[in-house]
Amino acid sequence: MMNYLKSERYRLTRKISLHVTSIIAFVLIIVAGFALDYFGKNEVGFPYATTYFFYGNVVNGSMLIFIIALLVNSSLTGKDLSILKQSISFGISKSTIFWSKLILTLMYFLLLCFIGMILMVVLGETLFTDSESYLKSFLLASVNMFPIVISAFMLVHVMKMNQIGTIYTFIAILVIYTMSDGMINLMFRLVGPLDELHKWTPSFLLNENALFYTENAVTFSWECWVVGIGLSIIFLTIGLWQFYKKAID
Amino acid sequence: MNAIIQTKELSKKFKSEEVLKSIDFSLNIGEICALIGKNGAGKSTFFKLLSGQMIPTTGSIQLFDKKSPNLDEARKRMGFMIESPVFFPDFTGVQNLEYFRLQRGVVEKRRIGEVLNLVNLTHAKHKKFHTYSMGMKQRLGIALCLLSSPDCLVLDEPINGLDSEGIVEIRNLLLQLNQEHHITILVSSHILNELQLIADRFVFIKKGMIIEDISKKELEEKSKKQLHVQVDHVAKAAQVLESHYSSIQYEVIPDGKIVIYNHVNDAAAINKLLITNDISVTSFHIETYKLEEYFLDIVEGEGK
Repeated sequence: MMNYLKSERYRLTRKISLHVTSIIAFVLIIVAGFALDYFGKNEVGFPYATTYFFYGNVVNGSMLIFIIALLVNSSLTGKDLSILKQSISFGISKSTIFWSKLILTLMYFLLLCFIGMILMVVLGETLFTDSESYLKSFLLASVNMFPIVISAFMLVHVMKMNQIGTIYTFIAILVIYTMSDGMINLMFRLVGPLDELHKWTPSFLLNENALFYTENAVTFSWECWVVGIGLSIIFLTIGLWQFYKKAID
Repeated sequence: MNAIIQTKELSKKFKSEEVLKSIDFSLNIGEICALIGKNGAGKSTFFKLLSGQMIPTTGSIQLFDKKSPNLDEARKRMGFMIESPVFFPDFTGVQNLEYFRLQRGVVEKRRIGEVLNLVNLTHAKHKKFHTYSMGMKQRLGIALCLLSSPDCLVLDEPINGLDSEGIVEIRNLLLQLNQEHHITILVSSHILNELQLIADRFVFIKKGMIIEDISKKELEEKSKKQLHVQVDHVAKAAQVLESHYSSIQYEVIPDGKIVIYNHVNDAAAINKLLITNDISVTSFHIETYKLEEYFLDIVEGEGK
């Protein structure tokens, strides 16, 4: 696995488009922070120059984070999957390929998230002054979002590894992470023991997390972790099983 | 252990269609074996099963001393090039090989230069892969196969898309690899007469089944087709032949030539017979099939 990781790292470091996209994302965060600060100082009654609003873009912007996950994962999977046939014929196991690509892309994604968070906090705490601090709520909300975002990353990974088109991957994310609450509620609200099931959907938990953030009353949500870890395990199990069965040609 | 590849009752089904039917095959150390068949005969499927790109429906594969499904270690001693080689289009030749060198754990970095030199691609090593011609891509594919100094190469259409010069280069390379580096080779190609020049065994596959497996020597024996004799007295020669071989089938053609369609294996005796009967033999040769004609005969039943 180490050899495979080395080769993928060699490739990842030469993915200029990915690095440029990452830098653009960081620049956009910085530009957003300074733009809010500028309008706050120059526009009378401008309401968005606050840490509440600035951090709220992350807490309410899970879909954007999922898209970044999709982009990062696609950089090591995507079209380049046709190369896999050569790796497999040279005796690299499918398991090694699957986990190596996951580890490397996940590490890159986590690094981006980490740098992004640091930027957000530094900018938020230096540029804006609110009547009450939202930092604790923001950090707790981020901790709650983390396992759900990771589960979405796993979903993206297994779908890309199984060569399912980007559009289908995007639809799957949309359904599971933004519409599952409403759909489950619609299906089971009249079925006695299952009428609370929708509260265990990722979209409900993300919405609830965002709602608590608006009240500056976020607490650690073990439900998010249970659902996030559970979904990750399910996605990885099904995806790996499918990948083993799949002909690579 | 003489066999590098051994398959037993190897089959592959796609839904209801059985594309490979109970293939029993072995590739012995040191051989250059040609796998010959029409498009859709099952050659590439067979190679993909050997390489692990596809999983067999039934049957077993043995590579070196390892048996399926645990073949990953054995595959590290082999080089596969199946259909057209795939590389990263924006990487140069060297970068592509470096990626695979790291992946395959080849310690010596200079090996990249060696294999590029072997396939005559040194001049283009810093060009991006997407700028390569078809022939260069094929040669980079072979370079990749050679990167880990394999004991066996499995090449599917390695001369596909090459010009005549490129074909000769690859032919010489394969012979060199086999004779000097003792690499066993299993190869398929549509250019059958090229295969005839390099292979020492021919396996014919039709509709997913091996229908003939013969050595080069056997092929030469079997493909003897006609005996062409040129003599000074055609009529006398014909009379002598008829009197000694009652079942002989022949035809007299202009310029004192006789074409004998059977008894080809009695060529030496026929020559002696004519000479002892005071008939001067000015030309005497056996015309053989080319592999292409033999292939048509047995695979398509369209031989002459």
